[in-house]
Amino acid sequence: MTDVDTTEPAGPAPPGGSQAPVAAAFIVAIAGGAGLAVTYALGGQNQLEGLCLALALGGIGTGVVMWSKRFMPVRYESEPRAPLQSTPEERAAFEADLAAGGGTFQRRRLLTWLLGGGLGFLGLASIFPIASLGPNPVPGLKSTPYRKATDDPDGLRLVDESGNPIHHTEPNVNGVITAFPEGSVGDEQAQTLVIHLREPMREPLPGQEDWGIKLSVDGSETEIIAISKVCVHAGCPVGLFEEQSQLMLCPCHQSTFDLMEHARPVFGPASRPLPQLPIDLDDDGYIVARGDFAEPVGPGFWDMYK
Amino acid sequence: MTGAATPEPPVEGPRTRLGRLGDFFDKRLGLARLARAALDKIFPDQWSFLLGEIALYSFVILVGTGIFLALFFTAGQTTVTYDGSYAPLQGVEMSAAYQSALDLSFDVRAGLFFRQMHHWAALIFMAAIIVHMMRVFFTGAFRRPREINWVIGLSLFLLAFANGFAGYSLLDDQLSGTGLRIGNAAVISIPLVGTWIGSFLFGGDFPGDAIIGRLYSLHILVIPLLIAVLLAAHLTILIRHKHTHFPGKGARDDNVVGQRLWPTYTAKALGLFFITAGVLALMAGLLQINPIWLYGPFDIANVSSASQPDWYVGWLEGALRVMPNWTLSIFGYEIPNPFWGGVLLPGVTFSILYAWPWIEARLSGDRREHHVLDRPRDRPLRTALGVAVLVFYTVLGLAGADDVIAVAFGLSLNAWVWALRVGCIVLPIASAFITFRVCKELQLRDGPAPATGQRAPGGVTPAGDAGGDEAASSDPVPGPAVEPLERLDEAKTPVP
Amino acid sequence: MSSRRSWAVGLLSASVVAGVVLVLVGTAAGDQQPEDVRALSDKLDDPEVIAQGRSLFERACVSCHGDGGQGSDFGPSLLSDGATGADFMLRTGRMPLASPVPQAPSKPQAFSDEETDALVAYVADLAEDRALPVVEAAAGDLVLGGELFRANCAPCHNASAIGGALSFGQHAPSLLEVPGQQIGEAMRFGPGEMPVFGEDVFSDHEMNSIVRYVDYLKDPDDPGGLSLGRIGPVTEGFAAWIIGMAALLIGIRWVTAKLWQRRTEETEVGV
Repeated sequence: MTDVDTTEPAGPAPPGGSQAPVAAAFIVAIAGGAGLAVTYALGGQNQLEGLCLALALGGIGTGVVMWSKRFMPVRYESEPRAPLQSTPEERAAFEADLAAGGGTFQRRRLLTWLLGGGLGFLGLASIFPIASLGPNPVPGLKSTPYRKATDDPDGLRLVDESGNPIHHTEPNVNGVITAFPEGSVGDEQAQTLVIHLREPMREPLPGQEDWGIKLSVDGSETEIIAISKVCVHAGCPVGLFEEQSQLMLCPCHQSTFDLMEHARPVFGPASRPLPQLPIDLDDDGYIVARGDFAEPVGPGFWDMYK
Repeated sequence: MTGAATPEPPVEGPRTRLGRLGDFFDKRLGLARLARAALDKIFPDQWSFLLGEIALYSFVILVGTGIFLALFFTAGQTTVTYDGSYAPLQGVEMSAAYQSALDLSFDVRAGLFFRQMHHWAALIFMAAIIVHMMRVFFTGAFRRPREINWVIGLSLFLLAFANGFAGYSLLDDQLSGTGLRIGNAAVISIPLVGTWIGSFLFGGDFPGDAIIGRLYSLHILVIPLLIAVLLAAHLTILIRHKHTHFPGKGARDDNVVGQRLWPTYTAKALGLFFITAGVLALMAGLLQINPIWLYGPFDIANVSSASQPDWYVGWLEGALRVMPNWTLSIFGYEIPNPFWGGVLLPGVTFSILYAWPWIEARLSGDRREHHVLDRPRDRPLRTALGVAVLVFYTVLGLAGADDVIAVAFGLSLNAWVWALRVGCIVLPIASAFITFRVCKELQLRDGPAPATGQRAPGGVTPAGDAGGDEAASSDPVPGPAVEPLERLDEAKTPVP
Repeated sequence: MSSRRSWAVGLLSASVVAGVVLVLVGTAAGDQQPEDVRALSDKLDDPEVIAQGRSLFERACVSCHGDGGQGSDFGPSLLSDGATGADFMLRTGRMPLASPVPQAPSKPQAFSDEETDALVAYVADLAEDRALPVVEAAAGDLVLGGELFRANCAPCHNASAIGGALSFGQHAPSLLEVPGQQIGEAMRFGPGEMPVFGEDVFSDHEMNSIVRYVDYLKDPDDPGGLSLGRIGPVTEGFAAWIIGMAALLIGIRWVTAKLWQRRTEETEVGV
């Protein structure tokens, strides 16, 4: 198992041979170091910096190891291992000393208890600054800025990443646009996919049959729908629209959602559909939200349905 | 020794300059005794004992390169407009953190080199820690008296893991943000307290404007300090225990056979430091790592296909990917899917690893002190179990790259995920079985048991075996549990 | 600066394990230039060209796409593809298809440029859709293209444009060898699983900008050294093990090996 060769005869070691290789290694190191200084002084270049520093370090390293192999003594020795545990006498002495000094705590019970209480309450109080780290979490996770649309008869316009409202002619058939509620561009929870399906969703969720906008393009019926872009598994943006199969694929963990069936998960770790947003057209033909998503968007949490 | 300083060194005093320097410190600190003990520490000469040194040296290099990077990095999430020298991003709005990382890459002399060396050193640090842990596990070096050092080593692994993830997340490029998004989802999936922890970590909902600054404090101060303290404890305990050694060549539980630290082993250790640094410098110069300028600044609505974490987080990513879409509802409360792979699996993994020295002692009934290492073949059950665990996490690691592998080999992603789901159960069992048979076969070829100073090989022995802890505790001064040695040539290494 | 770097890159290319490195070949010669596309657009309504396309179609395409491009059991209808779709499919070599597969692979262009033009004219005539985008990458804005690419293209094609996996055996192809004109056509046409990015989503300037950024990604500077395929942490992890850890394991074997080492003395020491 070890490389130790105990069959070698003991005695003075034979000379280690030529020192030329060791010297060569150190010369390489000197050259590398000098090269590094020049490279750096001339403005630096990543590959040359790496090569020169590697030569400098590697030259020193291999040189020193070769030196040790050639010219330093090789002696295998056996050192005894003293027991780790203290002797009974030592332990007894320690316990006696401890007891002698600790007697004051035994005698002053009241003070000891009060000191403990003081430290305990200090510890308890020091937990509370944790609350400064962040707000109470739940409201932000359970709704999005689209909630403003719920009570607004005009609805809330959807806008693209530059803040421009989205006209219903904008998403081409089989096209997709990332949208936000007006006034909340860049809100992580509110990011929305506006997709122009080439045929109406086959199996919308009960009660959500009219949540999309049905259109007629070149004589065939199509539908614009809006769904949450935040993956219900781990929160990545569900960015891959597979147009032919009408699937949305999350590139992080490959959860796959069937748009024809209310964005139901058909593969991967996601366990519920991407929530749909009720949308309509305003008088100018722009897409507006009529309310918030049907359920909390994004990754799940303990009290999401409470 | 206690003589007052005189203008002339006493006649008996040291004559060399080095000797006078030593004398200076010895008069004030009395170091000669300690220093001599250090010079004479015995190192067993075996390559696998240097794995931990690679990790140690990687950490030193991480600290060194990290100090350079910290001089330039800005841990801020305020929005700025890039005006550095990388043309494809000029005029793009981004966070101050990402901008400073770009400046480090393009406008700070040698900045990209240090960034790349830091990152490669992190990848090698984790690899060396894991290989070192494998050596310790498979040779039983975690057994009494080294349980504490196993626990410390495991904690170092966790800290290094956390710091790697924090560093990956600091740059605020698209990959960083995607990683943090998934991390946030795993945190809020914890029952009852998850959303609170998530809110406290991120200062509110993801992404918030606090996380980069907080990760920065952790990454450059808190975690490295903890690592340094635990490393010091790890090494102090190592010196207190002295090295383990492999059986044969006079190795017993009451001695340590090897070479003295000074000078040969000092030279080798020093040389290895420079070699490690040299390999990292070569990689930093020639292999591009984490080209954040291609990934772009983090945007909550963007994502790139093939978004992977660094390799050592791959098993967690893989666990999230291959997990079937199970959730649990308890009275209307939810345990969402990322909990299984992102929280429960690492929780169980590290709980078992922390407890392993005691679990094995319970199973084998062997609670004696051990300083002679096991050969993996002599403990076929432990070896088979270790291999199975490694295979399991390797399959998960490959699952973390499932989309890249599917594209590279023209596989159907879905078929491949199913293969991985089956593989992460079947392959560990199969490899455990094969390992067990190979160990037994190797034992047969060896003939009679080697002289290890231990009980006969054969893995787990029935509890209640002599040498259990009753025997140890009834003995007031239990010396190293040494059993009669067979086939040891006592003449070559006489015992004092 | 650049000559020094190319020297260094050349030196290391020879010395580093090739298995880890994906060598990415540059773009093919003979890409369509904007004037070629305009010339093609001009002759799309030329009856002679259409007739030539029809006779070619009836020899080469009709068995799958049916009489008059109506589609059959073996191939889809072409009645709505128009010039853009036909030009994309033919010039990337996706058509004609060697055998029916879920996703047509890109190949060298099968027909001569003239034959291709004629087929495009015929298919455009079927749909009465002769619109053909004219990609002028040089007129695009690199920075804008980068932002649009990362937001709209990277989810499938990867931030480095190396392609990525899709569901059920399909994949988004690498863009590194796709000519700029065909990238523009793909946006407008939406081949296969790709959604359509029409003129209301991306203006011609935005399309040109994206193509310009993809052109940049075909041969970026890679200041850090070998690109490792620009795949990200996966290849970096493999490189850490296969190059870094392997070198260091060899290193510690050498440090402790008896190779070049003096013969041993053995003594006993009691410290």
